[in-house]
Amino acid sequence: MNISTKKEASALLVTVAGRMDAVTAPEFEKSILDFIAQGERNFLINLSGLEYISSAGLRSILASAKRLKEQNGKLVFSGLQGHVKEVFSISGFHGIFKIYDSDAEGLKGF
Amino acid sequence: MITFKKGIAFKLALIFSGSVTLIFVIIFGAYYSFTRKMIEKNTAENARNLTLGTVARIDGILRSVQQVPENMAGTLERGTVNKEELIGLIKSAVEKNPEIYGYGISFAPYAFDKNSLYMSPYYCRANKSLSWLGSDTYQYLLADWYQIPKELGKSRWSEPYYDEGGGNILMATYSVPFYRLVNGKRTFTGVITADMSLQWLREMMAAIKILDTGYAFLLSKNGNFVTHPDHTFIMNETIFGVAESLGDKKLRGIGRGMIGGQAAFVHTQRLDAGKPGFLYYTPVTSSGWSLAVLFPQDELLADLTHLNWLVLLLSAAGMLVLFGVVVSEARSITGPLTHMADATAEIAAGNLDVKMPETRSEDEVAILSRAFSAMQLSLKNHIARLTEATAARERIESELNIARDIQLSILPKIFPPFAGMPELDLFAVLKSAREVGGDLYDFFTVDEDNFCFVIGDVSGKGVPASLFMAVTKTLFKATAVSGTPPEVVLDNVNTELSRGNDKAMFVTAFFGILNIKTGVIAFSNGGHNLPVVMRKDGSVKYLWKTGGMVVGAMEGMKFEPGTLTLAPGDRLFLYTDGVTEAMDKNKVLFSDERLLRELEQLHGLPVKEVLNRLLAMLVDYSGGDQSDDITMMLLEYKGRS
Repeated sequence: MNISTKKEASALLVTVAGRMDAVTAPEFEKSILDFIAQGERNFLINLSGLEYISSAGLRSILASAKRLKEQNGKLVFSGLQGHVKEVFSISGFHGIFKIYDSDAEGLKGF
Repeated sequence: MITFKKGIAFKLALIFSGSVTLIFVIIFGAYYSFTRKMIEKNTAENARNLTLGTVARIDGILRSVQQVPENMAGTLERGTVNKEELIGLIKSAVEKNPEIYGYGISFAPYAFDKNSLYMSPYYCRANKSLSWLGSDTYQYLLADWYQIPKELGKSRWSEPYYDEGGGNILMATYSVPFYRLVNGKRTFTGVITADMSLQWLREMMAAIKILDTGYAFLLSKNGNFVTHPDHTFIMNETIFGVAESLGDKKLRGIGRGMIGGQAAFVHTQRLDAGKPGFLYYTPVTSSGWSLAVLFPQDELLADLTHLNWLVLLLSAAGMLVLFGVVVSEARSITGPLTHMADATAEIAAGNLDVKMPETRSEDEVAILSRAFSAMQLSLKNHIARLTEATAARERIESELNIARDIQLSILPKIFPPFAGMPELDLFAVLKSAREVGGDLYDFFTVDEDNFCFVIGDVSGKGVPASLFMAVTKTLFKATAVSGTPPEVVLDNVNTELSRGNDKAMFVTAFFGILNIKTGVIAFSNGGHNLPVVMRKDGSVKYLWKTGGMVVGAMEGMKFEPGTLTLAPGDRLFLYTDGVTEAMDKNKVLFSDERLLRELEQLHGLPVKEVLNRLLAMLVDYSGGDQSDDITMMLLEYKGRS
């Protein structure tokens, strides 16, 4: 898994690529929690490069979102495709998270 | 034991000594060549000075002898003398000039007296007697001393010769031709001869001392030895003869130079012993002889040779000391290295308490040694930590194994589940991954007609997942009481699980209630993989989407109800993502599509057979490296017969 970040005007754009499974998910969760600790509140997670997400990945997203909610922050997604899009759909994540087609749209949403 | 023969110490010593030797040889060579040239130059200078005086003295004596007949030639040319006057002149010439041994005036035939063929008075110092040369037996007119000056028209020294009559001493004769005007024409009249003993020459030459074995010698115009320390050479050998017998072409060249009246300093062989030497020769102009002095090379360069030996000896000694110093210094460097290598080998063999060699200095070896000690310490600590960690992991692993056993033990394992329920056939498997996961399945009846079944997958792995799974299973069983619709069951379970769930764990779950009378299934899906409906006619398809959030993640989620009717012979296949997301070694997923295809192929087989074959296929697909729990449940509605 590869995580890269870019500070945008309205939010922190986090691009995740590769695979998010039981091995790599804690890394994602930790990096988001670190950003929260640094004061970031708005996150746009771009998953266009993510090939696979397991239930552990979903859990780390959920845990991050919960923590963010306590801080009145917000977590939205963009660029979902293929397997990841399907998993979001089946698991009901598409119902609780805002999902945008592009980063530009996502950044406008904050 | 240090094997320095092939080690750094030896190589270092070799390189050092070799380099120093090379430098020394170059310096020594340059020094030797320069010194030798200087010695040669000095010798040439000495030789020139040495011979200069001798040649001047020889020339002086020869000239003083030449003077006498030459003056007399003038006297005879200017006027006539009678016989008595002639004898007087001859006698006085001998008496006044001690160098002259014999003196004579030989007239051409009939030149003195028209009646006399021979006219040649000769006075000899030895017996103080006047003799008259010329007779039938002694035709002086044909003798060299008469013929050559006459023919050349020039005064001339003869080749030295032994006077056999007069005491066998070495002599040379100076012949001067004289002329008279006859009818206004300058006509050859005779030859005046002055004989000279060369005894003084031998003494003079013998007095020239050159080192211990060097010597001087004189060559005649023809290359004969006039003087030589070895008397057998005198007038017996020519330099060309010597060159011939020694086979020395260079010597022949030197001989030509000498009789050609040149002066030079050359390196040559000694004429007698064949040893090398330096020869300086210079002409004696009055007689056309050549004076040579020979310096024996061994003597000339003796000091230099001694110096060479001394320097060589000192150098060899110095080299030995240098070699020793380098070897000892290098060994003091490589010694600790060797110890270190031994110590390292011991460390490698597992003895971490071996002591690194002490180092005195602050050089690189000391740094290396300290680095090794540090490495040893950190290795020791690391291994200690690793041992601890391994022990801990082993403990955890055994706990995980226990957790897995517990997980599996709480799942129902009796198939078909209810002997008294012919309307239903069911089989389920759960194959754990290496690390315990959170899959679950369960089924139970809530009343006579209603049969509940649930399949779920807890997010994550390990003990937390298996604990969460156990709680979930218990909650489902507790919540699904008769008459409660599936979406409400999910809602309730969700509420319970969500409370205090800081870790945001959740479970995806598909919960259904089959009415065994009608074949109608009421279900609700909490974010779980879509089950597959397998109709009796062999068609297979995923159950339509019902949406629904995963269970336990967030409180207050609403779950959608759904229904499905099974005709007798229809089947419902439930599974966890361990099936569709099984991966081969290239991380390619088994996929929903493949699952559907395989199920289609397995149509008509008994439920147990279908699952076993699928499981075998999945194990094969993942190549024995199963990454997630695989759980499958196949339910067939047989209907009431």
